[in-house]
Amino acid sequence: MTITDQMTSKKPDANLRLRVLGKIGEHKPYNCYQCIKCTSGCPSMKMLELKPHEIVALAKAGFIDELVSSGIIWTCATCLKCKERCPQAVAPVDLIIALRNLAVEKEAKVPESFLQALSMILECGYVSRPQATITRKLEKIDREKLGLPKFREPDERFKATFMKALEKTSRGESVQ
Amino acid sequence: MKTAVYWGCVIPTVQYAYEMSVREVMPRLGVELVDLENASCCGPQVQSVNMTAAVYLATRNIAIAEKMGFTDLLAVCNGCHLSLFEASYHLSHDEKLCEEINTLLNEEELHYSGKIKIWHTIDFLHDMIGEDTIKKAVVHPLNGFKLVVHYGCHILRPSSIGTVDDPENPQKLDRLIEWLGATSIKYPEKLDCCGAMLMLSHPDAAFTFAGLKLKAIQDLGADALIDSCPSCQNMFDMRQKSAAATTGAKLNVPVIYYTQLLGLAMGIPQEKLGLNLNRSPIDEFLQKALVH
Repeated sequence: MTITDQMTSKKPDANLRLRVLGKIGEHKPYNCYQCIKCTSGCPSMKMLELKPHEIVALAKAGFIDELVSSGIIWTCATCLKCKERCPQAVAPVDLIIALRNLAVEKEAKVPESFLQALSMILECGYVSRPQATITRKLEKIDREKLGLPKFREPDERFKATFMKALEKTSRGESVQ
Repeated sequence: MKTAVYWGCVIPTVQYAYEMSVREVMPRLGVELVDLENASCCGPQVQSVNMTAAVYLATRNIAIAEKMGFTDLLAVCNGCHLSLFEASYHLSHDEKLCEEINTLLNEEELHYSGKIKIWHTIDFLHDMIGEDTIKKAVVHPLNGFKLVVHYGCHILRPSSIGTVDDPENPQKLDRLIEWLGATSIKYPEKLDCCGAMLMLSHPDAAFTFAGLKLKAIQDLGADALIDSCPSCQNMFDMRQKSAAATTGAKLNVPVIYYTQLLGLAMGIPQEKLGLNLNRSPIDEFLQKALVH
């Protein structure tokens, strides 16, 4: 007998759970005993109702699809306090990042900015190009005027290799 | 001594004052900085999309430093420091991943062996350069100044991979300030996050993170907030007005990079430290610091 989510009538998915847990290192969520230390110190809890202990519990139970398609996994600020403070060496933040990776693979809801950052890196090697800025006195100024060395983008071989790296599935999956 | 320096994305494309002040203070403290050749992004945003690709990005920059023959690499941005540190940790604990990444790096005749020590500005100044050298370099001590420090999450946690300072009670930046003659005020919000990483998905919440911390700091009556991370500086300094608008608070907190503060104490001219680029109201602070 398995549990059923009474809101959606969905059952846990053991295979998907294996895939997500395969993406994280030694900080597996099995040892979580729901002390809620992570959630009590989570800054996104105050602002966006992120509850890391619930994410860990749902992942343990196998409700992966529900997590992957929920916007809640994108409310983490990656302050890493949950990973630092967990008495059971569970890392809720690592689990959240693994769920985000799966959300991308499954083409679920993914905030556009993350994918934009990726295309910028493919285009110029960095998430942005040098921007003109202004001084406090509102003078327009750039790297050259500030006497900073010329900004150099990596060569074409980097872009080709980064493309190859992107084709690889996430960390650990090939290991498991 | 000679060290490789990795600037990342945010510093050389937006946060010019950090780059300028680091380039000014380090040589005067006896450190020759050499930029990484052909460097690229270290991948914090990519972690959320594809972890393997993110580890590749971070490792690539370490491998470049290795190829250039360095033993030390200074990653001045907190985000970069964490990416490089985490990648090294993963690779030393996962042989297969290490092999996979090295196969990718080989396409550019690069190789990761894990011999490089990675530093951040704060531990580099505190542990490598040290108290005596810094104190000797000070010509305008900042006696009487009351300052607050913000370390930024990504150089403090997770301590399991080794970090710049104690994850719950960091002291190095406080001491660095005290070596200049100023006092560092203790405050309960010291470890609070600036919210920068939420700018990608929840900017309103990100501004609230920054605004609440700035409000708490303002209430302390400190002369300035001192940080050492370009993303935190983006939130606290460049976007202080947005943080104020989002939280409904009137904010007037001067925000200055530690390397700018150090440069001032060392007598380096303001414009060389990019002190005309801070958007927060630092003019009064500068006047006070110069009269001093």
